[in-house]
Amino acid sequence: MLKYVLKRVGLALITLLIIVFLLFWLVRVMPGNPFPSERMNDIQIANKRAEMGLDDPVLVQFARYIIKALQGDFGNGTSLYYGVPINTVLSKAIGNSFRIGGIAIVIGTLIGLLLGITAALNRGKFLDGFCTVFSIIGVCVPSYVFLIFLQYNFAFRIPFFPYFFDPNRFVFSSVLPSLSLSLFTMSTIARFTRNEMVEVFDSDYVRLAESKGMYGRTLVLRHVLRNALIPIVTVLAPLVVDLLTGALVVEKIYGINGIGKLMVDAITGEGIDYNYVLALGILYSALYIGVMLAVDLLYGVLDPRIRVAAKGEEA
Amino acid sequence: MKKLFALLMAAMLLVTCAFTAASAEGEKYLGVMLSTNVMSLDTNLATDGESFEVIADCIDGLMQMDANGAAIPAIAESYDLSEDGTVYTFHLRDAKWSNGAAVTANDFEFAWKRIAKEAGEYAYLLDTSVGCIKNADAIIYEGADPETLGVKALDDKTFEVTLEVPVSFFPSLMYFPTFYPINEEFYNSLAEGTYGTSPETFLSNGAFVLEDYAPGTASLSVKKNDAYWDADSIKLAGIKYQVVGSSDNALTAFRSNTLDVVTVSGSQVGAVEKDASLSSQLKVTGAGYLWYLTFSQTANNANGYLANKNLRLAITNAIDRESLVENYVMDGSLDTYTAVPPQFAASSTTGEDFSADQDQFLDYVGFDPDKAAAFFETAKAELGQDEFTFTLIYGNNEGDEVAKVAQAIKADLEDLLPGLTVNLQPMTKSERLDKMQNDNYEIALTRWGPDYADPMTYLGMWITNNSNNYGFWSNAEYDQLIKDCTTGAYITDYDARWAALLQAETIVMQEAVIAPLYTKANANLIASGVNGIQFHPVALNRVYKAVVLE
Repeated sequence: MLKYVLKRVGLALITLLIIVFLLFWLVRVMPGNPFPSERMNDIQIANKRAEMGLDDPVLVQFARYIIKALQGDFGNGTSLYYGVPINTVLSKAIGNSFRIGGIAIVIGTLIGLLLGITAALNRGKFLDGFCTVFSIIGVCVPSYVFLIFLQYNFAFRIPFFPYFFDPNRFVFSSVLPSLSLSLFTMSTIARFTRNEMVEVFDSDYVRLAESKGMYGRTLVLRHVLRNALIPIVTVLAPLVVDLLTGALVVEKIYGINGIGKLMVDAITGEGIDYNYVLALGILYSALYIGVMLAVDLLYGVLDPRIRVAAKGEEA
Repeated sequence: MKKLFALLMAAMLLVTCAFTAASAEGEKYLGVMLSTNVMSLDTNLATDGESFEVIADCIDGLMQMDANGAAIPAIAESYDLSEDGTVYTFHLRDAKWSNGAAVTANDFEFAWKRIAKEAGEYAYLLDTSVGCIKNADAIIYEGADPETLGVKALDDKTFEVTLEVPVSFFPSLMYFPTFYPINEEFYNSLAEGTYGTSPETFLSNGAFVLEDYAPGTASLSVKKNDAYWDADSIKLAGIKYQVVGSSDNALTAFRSNTLDVVTVSGSQVGAVEKDASLSSQLKVTGAGYLWYLTFSQTANNANGYLANKNLRLAITNAIDRESLVENYVMDGSLDTYTAVPPQFAASSTTGEDFSADQDQFLDYVGFDPDKAAAFFETAKAELGQDEFTFTLIYGNNEGDEVAKVAQAIKADLEDLLPGLTVNLQPMTKSERLDKMQNDNYEIALTRWGPDYADPMTYLGMWITNNSNNYGFWSNAEYDQLIKDCTTGAYITDYDARWAALLQAETIVMQEAVIAPLYTKANANLIASGVNGIQFHPVALNRVYKAVVLE
């Protein structure tokens, strides 16, 4: 098992390094200017470029960047929040996005599972139909449309929640964006849970368990849900990354200083901020790779067959 | 399951109630919309209007703007000017930083030398093209010792500035944030890169102190500074800024009383005007920006065709600017027929707006299909070419109306100048600037906002080799005129300088160096009961020192 884990982690790190290099190179060949100055002359701009080491060969720049990044220094903003170390801006933005995304994941997964199980247990009945319709709507309606609906009704018509995000009232002002972000997760999870559980209910081993006299909660939780969870975890993984890396439009509409908004500002602002694009790119990739790694390892916990296969590989 | 649901709901309700109760507000702050994030509160690094506005809320310079944009004393109680007009001696009043330290002449000396040494975006305000502070050019462009800058703290309360040549509008430069003071001791006590990144790392000597701010934040606030030298005249408890990405959202936030001051887009103005409750709160103010077309006149692009004066004149006479502002921009922007936009530069002797007369160049610029066709025929004959295809580049992140304006220009040109094809190419502003600066474009839709209240902020751009001269146009007579107005013959004769500037502008229009389009306005909604916001097209767009809430 240890060898299996080490191999996975090693592969993940190599993937990350390749991605970082590609990003590093791509951001430099992208059209646009890291110094979007209309007032500095050629001498000033050349000096600033030299200060940042932008005239050195890409590989030299890359090596310098990696050494600094490994020490936790991702440089300063060049066209975004000029001169301020990226870490200070990023840590706040990550905090906001992760917390709002995290709440959305928890709400979405819990309610999604609940809806899915309810639908599966009531197959063909009204509740099943209701859950199916709900999931279809939830998957189709973009989260920001739902946010605008919530914002209009519960912050404007009934002015209960704040109209914009207020970092000083974090939990309270997270309710609307978290709810709207959770909708997609909720619906996806509900749909998958329902379908997987229905399939497992029809399987031979559940029939066998039933014929042996097992029923009720034990049957559903121990045999049906556990077996249905594997595909659900697979779907959940990218959803988690999506939610954590910030929902760009939702952040923009609700005025949340999060990483989704930061990424767009870094690319479409006055100038391309190389350092922000890179730092965020690394964060996105690391998260994605990390979650995928976690899923791989989780499979082993959830499905003994995969554990056995891994052992076989080891032997 | 029902129980679980009920429990969940009850818990959520409890949490929300707890948080509503905890957020009881004190005295009302003014809620103000910002269109983009505040990029920096460091006067050396800030380059955008949003940042300048917040800096000016918190820091006073030597002078400040009155309601009409004229320079009146702030930290400087008074100033003397030497007979030859090159030495300003500012006498500082008793004022305090928010940490209790006195505001001294050294704070200015330190801040200005830092601007010159760092040679950033706005350092040019010190050089011989604008402020003409002694030795600024050598420090900014040649790396000379910043200590040689012509500024000196004679004592705590006396600040002396030596200029290379007299600059008639020098006092009005003093309200621009680049010239604001920084407390040296405080600055040096901070870790590198942290000045102005939080209320703790920022000192205020102005009407408000920073209350809540972090780089990247979408909301920030400032509150009244009780230790301000003019605290008695500040009636506002504070300002809460909110960055709002979309103007639809801004309008709803305004209706919900979340924001008191918002800017709406041109396409919303019609609806606002029809709404009885909103129309009385609409106020159109000049934003100062001149939008114009620039043409690459080098052989690198479009076979050098655009170097042909008659072709450029044909284009500038084929654009219906009235229709542009009425049907596409729609926010009260003014169709403009001068290279210097109206409303920001008035003569200090006559008080007359430099560009009040919008009809003075109608021979060269206007909307005249016949004239455009005639110019086009001449151009075709001169170039020996009947068909032209040009690409017009414009920003897709510079406002909703820009794409519409580009499309309207394409329609006008193709309609009135048969044989001319315009291809549109949207891109980010950064890419557009990059293309323009590297002479890799044909026609571009671009803009310039005035940095100071003198026509030179526009006319200075068209001299040979200026980095904003994107057309790479060059004219010896023009260069000489501008030189005479900045460092030469006209610097001491105000009226002669004014006349020379007009002469320079005439050349720009005759040669169609640029095709001016419109002067941007902002359509603001201001909640009833909010009085006294001062709007300016130059330097500081909004000033809140006189605001009273009813």
